[in-house]
Amino acid sequence: MHPVAAQNPQVLLHPECRVGADMGRWRRTGGGKALVQAVRDPAGVRNQVREAGLRGLGGSGFPAWRKWDAVAAEAANPDKYLIINGNEDEPGTFKDRLLLEETPHQVIEGAVATAVAIGANRIVFYVNPDLLRPLASMKIAIEQWRTSDLLVLAAEALARPLNLTLLPGSGHYIGGEETAAMEWVEGRFPFPRGKPPFPAQSGVMGCPTLINNVETLAQVPHIVVKGAEWFRALGKAPGAGTKLYSLSGDVLHPGVFELPMGTSLRELIFTHGGGLLSGKPLKAVFTGGPSSTLLTPADLDVAMDFDSLRARGSSLGTGAMIVVSEGTGIVKRVAEYERFFAHSSCGQCPSCKTGTKTMSRLLDRIDTGRGTDADLALLKNLCALLPDTGRCHLVNGAALLLDSAFRHFHDEFVQALVKSPQGRNPGGVEWR
Amino acid sequence: MTVGGVPLAAALAEYRPDAEIGPLPTPVDSDALLSTYHPDYLRGSVVTLAVGANAGGSCQRDLAELLQAEAFIDEADLAGIPVTDVDVLVVGGGGAGCAAALTAAEAGARVLLATKLRLGDSNTVMAEGGIQAAIEPEDSIQKHIQDTLRGGHHAGDPELVARMAEDGPDVLRWLIDLGMQFELTPNGDLRTRRGGGTSASRLVFCRDYTGLEMMRVLRESVTLHHNIEVWEQSPAVELLSNECGLACVGAVLASLVDGGLRIVRTRSVVLATGGLGRLHLNGFATSNHLGATGDGLVLAYRIGARLCELDSFQYHPTGLVFPSHLAGKLVTEGVRAAGALLLNGLGSRFVDELQPRDVVCAAILRECQEGRGIHIDDRRVGVWLDTPRLEQAEPGLLERQFPNLMSRTRGSGVDPRVQPLLVHPTLHYQNGGVVIDLDGASSVPGLFAVGEVAGGIHGRNRIMGNALLEIISFGRRAGRAATTTHDRGPKKVTVEHLNHMRRALTLAGLPMTRRTPMILPAYARGTPCTR
Repeated sequence: MHPVAAQNPQVLLHPECRVGADMGRWRRTGGGKALVQAVRDPAGVRNQVREAGLRGLGGSGFPAWRKWDAVAAEAANPDKYLIINGNEDEPGTFKDRLLLEETPHQVIEGAVATAVAIGANRIVFYVNPDLLRPLASMKIAIEQWRTSDLLVLAAEALARPLNLTLLPGSGHYIGGEETAAMEWVEGRFPFPRGKPPFPAQSGVMGCPTLINNVETLAQVPHIVVKGAEWFRALGKAPGAGTKLYSLSGDVLHPGVFELPMGTSLRELIFTHGGGLLSGKPLKAVFTGGPSSTLLTPADLDVAMDFDSLRARGSSLGTGAMIVVSEGTGIVKRVAEYERFFAHSSCGQCPSCKTGTKTMSRLLDRIDTGRGTDADLALLKNLCALLPDTGRCHLVNGAALLLDSAFRHFHDEFVQALVKSPQGRNPGGVEWR
Repeated sequence: MTVGGVPLAAALAEYRPDAEIGPLPTPVDSDALLSTYHPDYLRGSVVTLAVGANAGGSCQRDLAELLQAEAFIDEADLAGIPVTDVDVLVVGGGGAGCAAALTAAEAGARVLLATKLRLGDSNTVMAEGGIQAAIEPEDSIQKHIQDTLRGGHHAGDPELVARMAEDGPDVLRWLIDLGMQFELTPNGDLRTRRGGGTSASRLVFCRDYTGLEMMRVLRESVTLHHNIEVWEQSPAVELLSNECGLACVGAVLASLVDGGLRIVRTRSVVLATGGLGRLHLNGFATSNHLGATGDGLVLAYRIGARLCELDSFQYHPTGLVFPSHLAGKLVTEGVRAAGALLLNGLGSRFVDELQPRDVVCAAILRECQEGRGIHIDDRRVGVWLDTPRLEQAEPGLLERQFPNLMSRTRGSGVDPRVQPLLVHPTLHYQNGGVVIDLDGASSVPGLFAVGEVAGGIHGRNRIMGNALLEIISFGRRAGRAATTTHDRGPKKVTVEHLNHMRRALTLAGLPMTRRTPMILPAYARGTPCTR
């Protein structure tokens, strides 16, 4: 993996943070300061996070402070939960596992400071069970916290014991959805719940619950120590702070890059990613996350922050950028994504269960040279029909991606259709 | 090839089958002979690989060029191609491929056998000498293991060799059950003879076309088996990997007929693509069939499999030089085993003819390079294989024991009974290959390799008769193991491994202009092979 370029602002991936599960080393380089400050002024943490403009970095881009304030306003019933979402199962996303493995104390401090700020007494680190090394690292780090004076400090501020739990997730993609995570924490299969009630009112066991992504909470200690102004200045306006971009696909140096929020795709791919493999032209970029869409070479100079990308009809998602070069079949790629969605659907909502399966089946037909005009028309119909028909966003994501692919690469789908009335693709092969 | 030597006409005029032959010169140290004259040690013929699983390891130059190259397939080429799903894909229609396909099919798997040319177009049919199996009372499995390891200069994997030697008797039983004929003693026992470099009489044979006979029964069984589908003229041009590019989940086949591509998705792929004689390493002629272009090595290396002994090849000492249309064709080692001598242009012996192949080969090259060869032109030089003397000692022997040789030379103007054969080492066998375990599995999950494309058994030199044993022994092992690989989750078929390779090639600053595998030698490329 390519080392992170030194001239970029390094906050989360600063070498001082990347000490692994070594509490002594982490404390010596200034670890724990944020928690001390949070204990002194819990409400101040919320204010700073609000002023810093911290957004949910797990894909939603929802302002963090809104959920925080909502949970802080609720009374504990009898507990209050904070779930750290490390399910990270989106295609092309591999940033949280890096934070959990290499900077577990930064993540835990962010979580504990947040718990103090919102009055949560139960923290659950919800981590994808396939991430063995991050789980091992977190396990050691949490043990170190349990015997640490920092936890005592936090418990005093909360006036009740603070409970830290490491919970391996279900291994299902859908388990990353916030209400699904709560179901799993309660010990059931991760079926997403209907909303309302929102988690802030009634989450785990009916208690007020805040759920945030690993990367979001890892930013908290830095905001608390260095201030909201500093954090805003790190990003390229309107973005604030830094973002971990997971770059993969046909680039020379794939990897995780910490760059100012709002860095352009061009800079990410060509400056940091070393350009495209074999010098081929860029064809498209799949943005990873719950609602992945396509970016095209026309979007190279768009700032990669939540608002700018939303204005282009795309989304930043988790910050995963899967680069595909000319010479890559979009139909095949989209078919693979839709297969992933169909496989990941929990099957609760009929529209999602049959909709994603049907889309996947039709795309497979087209991809394998057996698709007809009618198949394409049906797919377009489904794209219009399916969004917002499920409890969670999975079906929206499936439709959005396909819609985005149709918008940019319609010709490729048409080309892959069967041309001759005999139902055989003339470009194909006659075997035996 | 070197210049100089005794002109052919003069040497022929000088030759007398009953001439007095001087004593054998004192043998030189065989290690020194090998390191000076064997082609593996030619200066500049070995380079260091820069990318891939063997990065830092040494490799023959021409092969390295193929291994470190761009693929034919890009992801876009996979769009809209028809997909076929089977349990096991066997790539290669020689003896190893057929043995693997039969065993997998017997275990209940749906098998697709894809072959570049036609079923049976392989080096298996050219194997003349026989198949080794320790079946004689005075022989033992242990002796077989020791002979194999010693012949390979102790570079072979003892575990693999042991498994192969143990399988020997059972392999014969299996082949006989399929209907294969062997030479029998008057009592009806299997007849054996002794091959070069072995300590016991262990070679079971069918006149001088053992491989052809073996292929006959394998081909019949494969064709008739209801679980095996055979696609001919369908070379594999690329393997397919899972989404991380770390496991093999299928292959892309091209049609030699119309150039079209086809995706095959499988639980496991068995590579049985044979060797690489048609690369003509170091300019040598070859005994191999037209399709032996090292495709399997290239495909396996690109998907991340580890290879071994890439700088070690076997040159068969007695390949024909003249007449030209037979150039590179083998004269079986059995002729030397029967007593034929090797003579240089001066009419004298220069090596013990029953030494291991690499030593005899190096000795012939020494004679040619030092001007004692028989010289036709700058590209054709050789030594005599003295068949008339054999015929004189025992009239009718050639016709009786070597009908294949006789029929091949018939009508060519050269009669081995009256005129000695002009021979020169010919590129014969790839000693190394894909590193495999006892089940024939490579280091890449889902990818198996058997036969000549696999490595580790023969070390740095193969002894006679072990190739036919290996293809059946490990073919059956891999066929069995390939059916037990379990299928999990949604199957995503990608060429992600090509990205790994392209990334590595770019970082190493290597050119990506050449596309491999070769599929057919340049001189045979009459039809479009891919696009």
